[in-house]
Amino acid sequence: MSKPLTIIVFFFFGLSACSRQEATVSIPFAATIGGQAVGCQGLHAAFRMTDLRFYVYQPTLHRNDGTSVSVRLHENGRWQRDELVLIDLEDGSGDCRNGTRDTNNEIIGNVPVDEYQGLTFSIGVPFERNHADPLTASAPLDDSTMHWHWRSGYKFLRAGFETANDGFWIHLGSAGCLGTVQNIKSCRFSNRFDVTLDDFQLGDEITIDFTALLSTSNSIDGTQADCSSGPAEETCREPFTVFGIDFDTGEQVSEQQLFFVGQH
Amino acid sequence: MKRLIGAVAAIAILAIAFWLMQKDKFEWHIAPPLPLPEVPIDNPMSDAKVELGRRLFYDSRLSINGTMSCASCHIQSLAFTDGRARSIGATGEQHPRGAMSLVNSAYGSRLTWANNLLDRLEDQALTPLLGDNPIEMGMAGRESEIVTMLSNDALYASLMREAFPAASNPYSVLNVVRATSAFVRTIVSFDSPYDAFLRGDVDAIDASAKRGMDLFFSERLECFHCHGGFNFTDSSTHADANVDRVGFHNTGLYNIDGNGAYPADNTGLFDMTGERRDMGRFKAPTLRNIAVTAPYMHDGSLLSLQEVIAHYLRGGRELTEGPHAGDGRLSPYKSEFIRGFELSDEEHADLLAFLHALTDQRVITDARWSNPW
Repeated sequence: MSKPLTIIVFFFFGLSACSRQEATVSIPFAATIGGQAVGCQGLHAAFRMTDLRFYVYQPTLHRNDGTSVSVRLHENGRWQRDELVLIDLEDGSGDCRNGTRDTNNEIIGNVPVDEYQGLTFSIGVPFERNHADPLTASAPLDDSTMHWHWRSGYKFLRAGFETANDGFWIHLGSAGCLGTVQNIKSCRFSNRFDVTLDDFQLGDEITIDFTALLSTSNSIDGTQADCSSGPAEETCREPFTVFGIDFDTGEQVSEQQLFFVGQH
Repeated sequence: MKRLIGAVAAIAILAIAFWLMQKDKFEWHIAPPLPLPEVPIDNPMSDAKVELGRRLFYDSRLSINGTMSCASCHIQSLAFTDGRARSIGATGEQHPRGAMSLVNSAYGSRLTWANNLLDRLEDQALTPLLGDNPIEMGMAGRESEIVTMLSNDALYASLMREAFPAASNPYSVLNVVRATSAFVRTIVSFDSPYDAFLRGDVDAIDASAKRGMDLFFSERLECFHCHGGFNFTDSSTHADANVDRVGFHNTGLYNIDGNGAYPADNTGLFDMTGERRDMGRFKAPTLRNIAVTAPYMHDGSLLSLQEVIAHYLRGGRELTEGPHAGDGRLSPYKSEFIRGFELSDEEHADLLAFLHALTDQRVITDARWSNPW
């Protein structure tokens, strides 16, 4: 690139940054069931949360005119980097026996000051970042509790709960991968899903409502029915509908039923 | 004169370089024609690293509650298995499968019972150390505890610096995994009576074992198709291998629904791929030291070598009652090599004698691989 052009490009970018004011936005998440907040300190005999962590990818705010803007994430060296956020709503206390003490309940980043209506994001880690070595990966992919050492790749979402006489946990991630751990070529079952929240406005809280997961999981008869996303694990079939994912293809075919705007 | 000095200097440099190369060359104690194991390029072998790995392998501080080390499930006297049908983790959770022998795992083209992705000890080590389904050592999210422990221990401080001399800060889980893998890679066994026989000591195994050997390698019994090669498994590789040899086989151990189903928590390769043809396919383990690694099969459901032979003799196991009832012999997914055969009592004893001749007393007693603490 010649020098005059470089200067022109810098000038142009500098100008555009100045001409548009940015604001820091926080998009908070909270766990609920049927409108009631839940956490690791179980209060309900019929439902006690044991786990809730997930990767949010490419959070994007939308405008009424149909245009959209990616949330430019603050990189804090722990929870956010390159369009990817780890949300962790368990603190390792109480019923969250497999949990970790640290928590992160928000996406935080910059967007141009504007009116926004609607939020979209995906749950999952993109393929090209999903099969790196977790011991050398940078945050938020350095969290070993989210890595799937034997299936390769990350657990996109891990959620769990106990009921009066049973319980259920689900680890969602890509499956049926081909290649070897250091060199995964492809995965037959992507198992990622998109979340579209048309009603979202800045300031709203996003709730993760366990209602659908509780009703689709076979978690009342006292038999083991957990789901670790195995392509042959029939115990995943019904719970996958909560994410809108077709268990037989690993592709999303309908709207998810887990993330909602505000009290649900 | 200048030229002469230059030549002398060049020769001296070459000599020093050669000496340095020899000095750093790791001694495997494996004699040709046996092949050397493949070593990942980012984790070269060294004596210091192996010694560090041996300490770590036997250190129960690498578990969530200080009760369990790698050696808890990989006991040297049992050829680095634990004698259980299914292993038990630090917090009491039971694994669906039994601990595999680590002997010659350096030659495994794939590791563990039925995983088509795991091909390096460094990757496999993460599951027992960090996995939580089930919890084995249970250290996920506790990496900082490991790093603190290592850097506060004077012995580890010096071992880690020696093992990773180029690292400005050697204290990491990555280096724990590398050192432990380097140690495990040294656990090789080629000193059984059978190996001595192959090397020319014709009296190393008796007449019965020799007859058993012929049976083992016969088309009548078909054992060697899956348990063949220098390591008695078709999922073997080595430093000079040029093909990726991987085998998973259904031996007709279960046939729950008449359509070949295995118990839901142990469907073998099917759990990884979801392809029906992979139902009940497991890796053929090495048969080296097989006489000391009971119970047998991925779930320890065959208690003795006699039961194993009976299973293959019948061409699949029949369970007549219980939740897993069914005739494995009729499984549609069974390997073509599991056809059944007949054995006289003498032949049965001969086959057993051969399997016992695969026990390497050195690997199960040598101080190199014993608890250093």
